[in-house]
Amino acid sequence: MILANTESNSSLKSHNTRFNPYDDNGGSIVAIGGDDFVVIASDTRLSTGFSIYSRNQSKLFKLSKKSILGSSGCWCDTLTLTRLLNARMQMYLHEHNKEMNTPALAQMLSTMLYYKRFFPYYVSNILAGIESDGSGWIYSYDPIGNVEKCKFRAGGSSGVLLQPLLDNQIMLSNLQNIDEQPLSLEKAIKIIQDVFTSAAERDIYTGDEIRIMSITADCFKEEKIQMRKD
Amino acid sequence: MSILEYNGGAVVAMKGKNCVAIASDKRFGIQAQTLSVNFEKVFEISPHLYVGLPGLATDTQTVYQRLKFRQNLYELKEGRSMSPKAFCAMLANMLYEKRFGPYFVEPVVAALDKNNEPFIVAMDLLGCMTTPDDFVVNGTCSRQLYGMCEVLWEPNLEPDDLFETISQALVNACDRDAVSGWGAVVYIIEKDKVTIKHVKTRMD
Amino acid sequence: MNFYNSVNFPINFNNHQDISESSDIIKHFHTPITTATSVLGIAFNNGVIISADILGSYGSLARFKNFSRILQANKNTLLGVGGDIADFQYLKELIQGKMIGEECLEDDIPLKPASLLCWLTRVMYNRRSKIDPLWNNILVAGIQDGKPYLGFIDKLGTAVEDKLIATGYGAYIAIPLLRDALEKKPDLNKQEAEELMKKCMEILYYRDARSFNKYELAILTTEGTEFKGPIEIKANWSISNDVCGYE
Repeated sequence: MILANTESNSSLKSHNTRFNPYDDNGGSIVAIGGDDFVVIASDTRLSTGFSIYSRNQSKLFKLSKKSILGSSGCWCDTLTLTRLLNARMQMYLHEHNKEMNTPALAQMLSTMLYYKRFFPYYVSNILAGIESDGSGWIYSYDPIGNVEKCKFRAGGSSGVLLQPLLDNQIMLSNLQNIDEQPLSLEKAIKIIQDVFTSAAERDIYTGDEIRIMSITADCFKEEKIQMRKD
Repeated sequence: MSILEYNGGAVVAMKGKNCVAIASDKRFGIQAQTLSVNFEKVFEISPHLYVGLPGLATDTQTVYQRLKFRQNLYELKEGRSMSPKAFCAMLANMLYEKRFGPYFVEPVVAALDKNNEPFIVAMDLLGCMTTPDDFVVNGTCSRQLYGMCEVLWEPNLEPDDLFETISQALVNACDRDAVSGWGAVVYIIEKDKVTIKHVKTRMD
Repeated sequence: MNFYNSVNFPINFNNHQDISESSDIIKHFHTPITTATSVLGIAFNNGVIISADILGSYGSLARFKNFSRILQANKNTLLGVGGDIADFQYLKELIQGKMIGEECLEDDIPLKPASLLCWLTRVMYNRRSKIDPLWNNILVAGIQDGKPYLGFIDKLGTAVEDKLIATGYGAYIAIPLLRDALEKKPDLNKQEAEELMKKCMEILYYRDARSFNKYELAILTTEGTEFKGPIEIKANWSISNDVCGYE
């Protein structure tokens, strides 16, 4: 009798699953900054569990003439965050009669993420931008607003797979007797293409298409590259 | 935290042209605290057959000892050395015997078979085998290793190139894992020689 | 964030108790009670078509057998809703209120489908942020600047735009059929889209236990809206005798 009672009790408890306000919609971002350019790329697959919502959803958001945000993770949080960001940039524009510059934007994003410290936006953000001296820099964030300024970063579902590769190919870590040459935009795009192709081999949340956006002093460019779709 | 990540460590093996390579890091720690920097996870079973046992360090040692024990019995009984295939079957069987209280190791096997063909196998902790024709990885930085290997590896690498490829893959992957690294060891297995190289890495 | 979780055995080094399991914390959240199943949508060359059956299920009980869940928001927007019916009816009131508000502006600028979708994502996201979600999937279909438009929102506020959308079991059963048809002929016309939709609804009826043999279709083109239904599926179960294990 007692045994039966405890059993029914525990089955009742396990039935009681809490509503989960988060989802993992996958997707990867890679960004590289050079002396006179910045380039950022994302895949276009949006998934949930083992099914695909969309094969055609870029995770890049052009925030200003000089900065692009890549945002992946929980897509509903990405949508909310980017809308808020756009609104606040608009307010800045109206107040100061100029576009927000990259470091200011980077700081604002950090503040906005930390504002939701105890109910975070479940997203991995990478901000790529050109600074006042024309050089390209990357700001990468954790979900609660920790920010790091660096020259290259991989994030999202394949971030862990790709970051050591970027260390090796761009920072030339663990390589000896190689003369370091300044990274060109063409080389950066080539690396991005390679790393995404390899991520798509091993990560089910990365695939379909790569969207690459690049900014230099005089032009903004966008291109698409097809990836495996299985 | 998973028990498999309690001590940290990683192993990778790759096929080359008439050669095969297996490499591991040398760290031994308890969670974030490093205790030793010469804990190798790759063991010689026979001149052309090596096994890597990343995972819980106590099980690394126990599984290796039990493997050695079973191998000795096999060789005494059969009067011949073990083929890589037989060795893997034995290892998988040994792991599956403990299906409901497993050894927390994820083995990687690298060998040249009797025709001197490269042979690599990876298993999960229950003995489920996979035999791809490029590379196998296991351990705490397996995801980083997948990313590295997927780009660096190419078919028919000569021994020297294979050494460079596997070292770069392992070292760069370990640099992005807090519980792997602190030195690495690479075994290049060829028909008539085995080269053991100790690779210097970042020690942080 | 660990997407490739390695095997986690139930042995825990930090042997703490999960507070969410503790019984003295009162939890308030709801689960769907009376539910509606899949909604399908296709964007074709000059319009959109959506369909949904007319069943409201109470668990496994077929409770409400004539329950329409396709709405016309305004002259260029259709909505199809699945999930909890009580939440749907609340949402319907909310949307109608919004539409009245829009009409009161008297500016002759109708709300575009993408704008309605955006507004609905905010409604859904705000509710999920209160941990009290509206348990629905919403399909928004319409004509946006002369072009067919199809979008989808789930209970978290996740929004997706695509040429083909199916929710619930439709995502598993209808999507492969729809993608296959669209791959063979990317630019469907109205008749073809309607045929395809009818076929999907029939197949869903065969395999989805919470579906029904009566459904509605709504087609919106630049010429206007056409509601069809309830359409009855004339099911053919003769094959069932050959299915092993069915008898």
